[in-house]
Amino acid sequence: MKPQLAFEGDRSRGRFETTRWSLVLSCANSGSTKETARQALGELCQIYWRPIFAFICRRGYSVVDAQDLTQDFFLMVLEGNLLALADPCRGRFRTLLLRALQNFLIDKHDWGKTKKRGGGIDFVQWDDWMAETPSQLSIPSGTLTDWPPEKIFDLRWATTVVEQALRLLAEECESRGRRRMFTVLSRYLTAERADISYASLSASLGIPANSVKRLLHHLRERYRDILRHEVAQTVESATEVDEEIRYLCAALATSAS
Amino acid sequence: MNFYGVSDLPESIVDKLTPCRCGSAARISSGLCVSCLLQRGVHPKEPQSETFDAVLAEIEVRDTDWQLGNYQILEEIGRGGMGVIYRARQRHSRRIVALKRVLRYHADSRETLERFRREAEAAASLDHPNILPIYEVGKTEDGLPFFSMKYAPGGSLQRIAPALRNEPRRSVRLLAKVARAVQYAHEQGVLHRDLKPGNILLDGRGEPLVSDFGLAKWINSTSDLTQTMTVFGTPGYIAPEQVQYRAENLGAAVDVYSLGSILFDLLSGRPPFLGEHALAVIKQAAENPAPKLRSIAPQLDRDLETICARCLEREPLSRYASAGDVAQDVERWLQGRPIIARPVSVPVRLWRWSRRNRRLAAACATCVALGLTATMRQFQSWHLESTVRKEVLAAHSIAVLPFLDLDTGEADPVATEQFARALHTALLTIGPGKVVPLPVLPSKWTGTGNIDEIRIAAEQANTQTVLSATLRHIPHGIRLSLHLFRETNRLGQWTLDFQNPEELPKALAKGNLTTLLYRALDGAAPPEKGESADPMLKDDVARGFFNAGRALLDRRTIPDMDRAINCFEEAVRAAPTSVSVRSYLAVAYLGRNFLTANPKYVERGFQVAKEALALDSQNPAPHRSLCFLYASTGQFDRALEHGLFALEAGDPSERALGQVAGIWKELGHPEKAIRWFRKAKVSDRQPADYDALIGDCWMLLNEDGQAREAYRAAANFHPDLPEGWLGLCHLELLNGDFDSARTLFSQHAGEYQPFHTVKPLLAQIDFFSRNFAEAERLYREIHEADPKGVGFQQYGAISSASALARLKLAVGDQASAKQLISESLATDEAQLAISPRNAEALYRLAADEAVRGNLTLSLRHLRESIAAGWLDYRSTRLDPRFDQVADNPEFQSLLSELATRVAALRTALTSRSPVVKIKTQ
Repeated sequence: MKPQLAFEGDRSRGRFETTRWSLVLSCANSGSTKETARQALGELCQIYWRPIFAFICRRGYSVVDAQDLTQDFFLMVLEGNLLALADPCRGRFRTLLLRALQNFLIDKHDWGKTKKRGGGIDFVQWDDWMAETPSQLSIPSGTLTDWPPEKIFDLRWATTVVEQALRLLAEECESRGRRRMFTVLSRYLTAERADISYASLSASLGIPANSVKRLLHHLRERYRDILRHEVAQTVESATEVDEEIRYLCAALATSAS
Repeated sequence: MNFYGVSDLPESIVDKLTPCRCGSAARISSGLCVSCLLQRGVHPKEPQSETFDAVLAEIEVRDTDWQLGNYQILEEIGRGGMGVIYRARQRHSRRIVALKRVLRYHADSRETLERFRREAEAAASLDHPNILPIYEVGKTEDGLPFFSMKYAPGGSLQRIAPALRNEPRRSVRLLAKVARAVQYAHEQGVLHRDLKPGNILLDGRGEPLVSDFGLAKWINSTSDLTQTMTVFGTPGYIAPEQVQYRAENLGAAVDVYSLGSILFDLLSGRPPFLGEHALAVIKQAAENPAPKLRSIAPQLDRDLETICARCLEREPLSRYASAGDVAQDVERWLQGRPIIARPVSVPVRLWRWSRRNRRLAAACATCVALGLTATMRQFQSWHLESTVRKEVLAAHSIAVLPFLDLDTGEADPVATEQFARALHTALLTIGPGKVVPLPVLPSKWTGTGNIDEIRIAAEQANTQTVLSATLRHIPHGIRLSLHLFRETNRLGQWTLDFQNPEELPKALAKGNLTTLLYRALDGAAPPEKGESADPMLKDDVARGFFNAGRALLDRRTIPDMDRAINCFEEAVRAAPTSVSVRSYLAVAYLGRNFLTANPKYVERGFQVAKEALALDSQNPAPHRSLCFLYASTGQFDRALEHGLFALEAGDPSERALGQVAGIWKELGHPEKAIRWFRKAKVSDRQPADYDALIGDCWMLLNEDGQAREAYRAAANFHPDLPEGWLGLCHLELLNGDFDSARTLFSQHAGEYQPFHTVKPLLAQIDFFSRNFAEAERLYREIHEADPKGVGFQQYGAISSASALARLKLAVGDQASAKQLISESLATDEAQLAISPRNAEALYRLAADEAVRGNLTLSLRHLRESIAAGWLDYRSTRLDPRFDQVADNPEFQSLLSELATRVAALRTALTSRSPVVKIKTQ
């Protein structure tokens, strides 16, 4: 299920032609490749379920109801043709998903707060979803209560993007027998030079300080590539990656207040 | 559990978080700032002379033990005195598991290790939905044992305990499940011995999973004490005898004790015993009785105190005999029934005191002997009486759902309250009883007594019985229709007519309604009539044919509908007195008519439905069928009457609600229709396409924004049906944006298969945009395929004959126009002969007369049509058939009056309607 990562980074422009969201969009109207598109959409949903879930919770539903609604929503997205929304709705996966979600909840606004359990069929095991992508986002409680659901959605989206990128980076390191190196060095991915003690890192990893520097530098570059690659999966063309990242940064910036 | 779903752990939502230097205050688990991590993505890429792989290959920092057996370790998620827990991935299945590795185990020989494995394997064989499954028990290369289990992403009960503090029912419900799981394990011969909140994990849905069964002896994750005292278990939760006896001599009572401690902790926020250190806690538990629950949390129910106290008895034999008994008693509490455990009575306390203070007791005994006997006897009889009274009261407690006002489609809390009070007073004259109106609308409320609302009401009011009712105006007063349910069983149904609210108490007394109701509560009501007692159900042949017919109904093809009719006819022969069979047969005839428009079928449908009604006029089924039949023949007043009667007779189906909604729309009340459609969606079990219908109502109310949203929902979630995008096209058309309408149409129609069903809208776009040549071509095709015009018409009440007549006039072909218009008039008049107040037929007539140039007649019919409920004036303005009257001032003023009326209806929907009352006529 994991996406294939191009190990050399994203130098060639052509690669973006087949990123998942543009694949979904391009297949929207051609029957023959719908299955591929559906699969791509399914994979995207598997990664980006948390913003949906958080949005629904923030709209006042109980956790249990929100789980059911999240499942129902994805079922509708996957069965009902989200892709059939033609040109006027083209755009990012994030915005389209949010819009469809808002519509979905309007219809469900009377949904019971104590819906009978076991009524709905889970199309995916909730436990498995959570186990695949555990997340411990720390934020001030004020943010949760003050922010409207749409902003919580963006916050959760941004977090999912970086967590997914880190997860892929961790798996990549692990598959090369470097999980421990990742665990030690990933804490410094965004650190300023002055905050890093190469001497102590050198001691804990048992390699020269110079090697630590090189590893950290490459780890950062690799992380950057993976992050961009992940974002590219959710936009239509490569040129939108920067814009999408800046949008998410801006959405988070207001979280400081 | 998740807090607002943003995180897996509630404790990660903190009051204050030091912001990163970038200013953002959102961090992921490793402490990294989310914003800075994102910013990395827009850093300029630095030129590189070597690849990541090459650097990794060159610098040797290999992992050493990051694989355990068949598992790839992902991260450490917990660490205790004797082991570490990891989140790990099973190599081949790629399943995520929790893996516990025993670092220091209580074993120093091979035999002990073997015993550990045997016991772990016994625990692994436990198969219960509330016991954490163990997948594999194994040992690593270094000989240390490990086992892999289901990964429980919801954390432990300990973690969510603070969130449970204000939800005693939720805590008790969780404990009931845990107790059932413990009972199951006991039956399999496995004791837990270390039950505590930290050992009860939660899956992703918040269901409890008891972990570490049978392992306490081997692994103890927190206590330092274990190493010094060979006591297994966790102070605060373990039974006092666990300190005194060897593990082998302990019984199920130790787990019963721990269940009590857990419940105590969840309810009060602390375990029963506290102390500065573990030893002090154990000492306290051994020497003192457990504190009373309500001494710490006085707001809690006394019965919960009793249950906890019974579990926490120091004498193992005084506790509940089994975990199953604990489960049973907490379940009784949850259901509002009297619990079995009794508070320890004075005589028992005296006896206990005498055991502890033998000599003093001996001296007192003789003095009080006589008095004590008397007291005991008194106690016993008091207990008995109070238990019986409680049972009777519980069985006669009724929750009253908010009444549904059938006139408005809304709840009537005032009437509900008045009725509940009157009934409560009346019931008390017969015996113990309680009538509780629900203070707020329960979710899923429709007012028709569907399973969901009954269940929710019972839970909210903590009763076994629920009353659901509708009320509405009848010619000489008010009619209340009452339905009494216990779980899914209908205990009885009654109708009560009275003139004004003051008469309610009298009306309750009259006809012995209260007595009948009380007897129904005792299960002594007369046998149930209605659908569940249908004779067809008792006849195998009839039932077989009936079920086959119902399955065929859904297929909607002519041969299948014919087969369905045959099946139902056979069923009628086998069970001639069955109301259900005839009611369905009527619907099948109606369906057959839809497919070929043969009035013979409608006639037969009416005939059969009326036969069913004659068999049982109180049964909802024939009313439902008649409602369909009348509605489909445009007789909406009658259809509404039967639709409402079906609801009063107890039809909780979503179809009945949707049908009432559709009728209101046709009667010119889209604002009411929206309310009823929403109701149909609440009780909807098989999602139907109500979105587009709601969109049509908003369209009629000129609320295009809302309409658009509803149509989009229809298009998104019912992409197989055209109604959503047709509605969107039609909105563009109404607003005169013909190009957009055309573009939208061509985008969707291409992929829509039965094209002829959507063609009328395209014709209408060309017609309204005065693209007459193209419009004529399309209408001619439509007319040739369906000369009677019974087929698929969406909007604007335009029959192909009528439109073609107008188009022929445009090219000066008077003769053809005349011929077509008389065809169209004949159809309109035939319809009006059946239903003289049919708004759409009247409107067609107005349009046809306008084409003929009969201005006075046209205006008269238009006025009649508006009086009957026609609202769509935007369509009238654009319709070329009205060209000849367009400049007439009366026509103009009719349309602007209509616009004012639409605005008024819109206000009626958006402004809160005043709280309703039991109205006086």
